[in-house]
Amino acid sequence: MIDVVDVHKTYKSGTREVHALRGVTCHIQKGRRAFIVGPSGSGKSTLLYMLGVVDHPTSGRILVEGRDLTAMSEAERNDYRRDRVGFIFQSFNLIGNLSAIENVLVPFLPRGVTPERRDRAKELLIRVGLGDRLDHRPYQLSGGEQQRVAIARALVKDPDLLLADEPTGELDSKAGDEIHHLLRELQETSEATLVVVTHDRRFITPQDLVLEIQDGLLAGDDDAEPAGGLRSAADAAS
Amino acid sequence: MGVFAWRNLLTRPMRTLLALIGLSIPILGVLGLFSLSDGLRNMVGDTLSQIEGVMVMSENSPSPVASSMTTDVVAKIRAIPGVRAAAPEVWRLAPDVEGRGLTSRLIGGVMTKSWNSMLDQPVVTGQDIAAHAKLRSAVYPRSLKTKGEGRFLNEGDVGKPNVVISRKLAKQFGAGPGEPKKVGDRLRISDVDCTIVGLYDTGSMLLDGVIVMDIGMARKLLGMAPETVSAVYVEADTPPGYEAIREAIEKAEPTVTARSMNEVQSSFNVMMSEVDKVLMLVVSLALAVGVVGIVNTMLMSTTERFVEFGVLRTLGWSQADVLRLVTTESACLGLLAGVVGCLLAWAGATVANQFLGGGIRLGVTPGSMALGLGLSVATGVLGGFYPAWKAARMAPMEAIRLGSR
Ligand SMILES: Nc1ncnc2c1ncn2[C@@H]1O[C@H](COP(=O)(O)OP(=O)(O)OP(=O)(O)O)[C@@H](O)[C@H]1O
Ligand SMILES: [Mg+2]
Repeated sequence: MIDVVDVHKTYKSGTREVHALRGVTCHIQKGRRAFIVGPSGSGKSTLLYMLGVVDHPTSGRILVEGRDLTAMSEAERNDYRRDRVGFIFQSFNLIGNLSAIENVLVPFLPRGVTPERRDRAKELLIRVGLGDRLDHRPYQLSGGEQQRVAIARALVKDPDLLLADEPTGELDSKAGDEIHHLLRELQETSEATLVVVTHDRRFITPQDLVLEIQDGLLAGDDDAEPAGGLRSAADAAS
Repeated sequence: MGVFAWRNLLTRPMRTLLALIGLSIPILGVLGLFSLSDGLRNMVGDTLSQIEGVMVMSENSPSPVASSMTTDVVAKIRAIPGVRAAAPEVWRLAPDVEGRGLTSRLIGGVMTKSWNSMLDQPVVTGQDIAAHAKLRSAVYPRSLKTKGEGRFLNEGDVGKPNVVISRKLAKQFGAGPGEPKKVGDRLRISDVDCTIVGLYDTGSMLLDGVIVMDIGMARKLLGMAPETVSAVYVEADTPPGYEAIREAIEKAEPTVTARSMNEVQSSFNVMMSEVDKVLMLVVSLALAVGVVGIVNTMLMSTTERFVEFGVLRTLGWSQADVLRLVTTESACLGLLAGVVGCLLAWAGATVANQFLGGGIRLGVTPGSMALGLGLSVATGVLGGFYPAWKAARMAPMEAIRLGSR
């Protein structure tokens, strides 16, 4: 369960201030699929990365499963990112010097990789259809295959939260479709809440929550829960 | 994580190699200097332990070769109570030997790359044979008896062009390689044909460069006035001992300098500790250069991987984890440079020992290798720290944004 309460984000570049988010309030139930859509520069990525405590709001609160992300210490944030959040990037961002399976295990590398984790990583790579490419390096994989490795990497920690920033942005439509189906399928079999930033509305089904951002403000929801999520979260805050 | 660090180093083999060379050369220099100072210490220590008396020279002479006194000091010294024996000597750099002068020897040395002949300038000493026979601690007769051949000078050699030389000089002035001068052979010094009556071998590079002959003969050969002496070698009775005698001589004869070999040894030790200080300075400079090289390399490498660190941070790596990765990389680099430096130093010392004779031996001991490795790893860690800190400190968000462009 995610509660975003009146979140503002202001970037300062030189003397100019950019209001990337101007009071976003929303509510995403546990296990849901949410899509953040909106024009370029509207603040989609900003919001997404805040859910993963990579960035923090200028003001407002974000609660995930009852934990206040804005009140976390540095160590808590590291642990949260490592254990609770799976990230999928637009440009895959695999580590070039590591093989596919090592890339999946990279969050645990500093603390040591247990055999159970390794088995889990292997299982996930098989699940995403790369069972025969475990030891391939990123440069030996196509873009779609790299993104599959990234999906396995995001899921290896059994996250509460699966965050994807335009995961198909650098893929052609066929590979993009495959990635979306895979994400959907894997999310359904896990407990994770999926939040995807996308430009491509064809992946969105009527059951999905759509958060439309314009100019740093949530424009409402076209499909399910029209403004419902918003209102309930706003009520909770007041 | 170690494997990861290692692979990151191998990604840019050329850069890693350059950084490696950059650090291994200072390490090589450090080991080289240490082994040279050790070698010097051993050699001079060897030499000094063979001499025990007091050497009297004219005031402020650095060595007997540059000293000039008159024979009357000998009588004055003998008159001092506690002096057991006093043996006058003359010392000068050798004129042409076998037609080879100083310049031609130097040039020859450069041409044949024989550093020996450049380092060892032969020296002629003339001894008062009768007085020297009374000495107990005379180096040359002793070493001739134990390791040499032929005979030492005796009363019969007074005024005759008979010489005793070292095996090393015999080799140096032989007809060719493998054909050293033998007892009975002639040795042409300046324009005098001398006869070699004995060969000695002290094993010390400093002592083995000396041609020994009668004092009168030496004065004639070197063009010195008959009453000149360079040095008087003095032995003392057990009480009062050398230090007291040294002081007594300097008091009785203010124009001379008396040096007991103990004193020389201790002043040598003082000098060597000064040398060691300079050495430490050179070492620090070399390591500073090494650190700068590592900083440069690692900074380049971390700047390049800005996005990667952002990704790692986003995936749950802490700042400390990133710091650890980068320092591991630079420590590996340091270790590698240390290994290369040690191997080079060891190889260098082995080769150098082929060319350096006469008592000086360069050694790269396990201790100094451990020191070299320790220093290089420390340099690596130190040099990696700033880039690592920079890499760990950056905001992951900025790196991610950079990466998605
Ligand atoms: N570090 C920064 N300094 C200044 N402005 C920034 C910074 N980061 C983001 N912004 C601005 O914040 C706004 C929102 O950025 P964000 O990346 O969230 O947009 P987005 O909706 O994801 O756009 P896109 O669809 O192009 O990815 C943009 O106007 C952007 O220029
Ligand atoms: Mg974006």
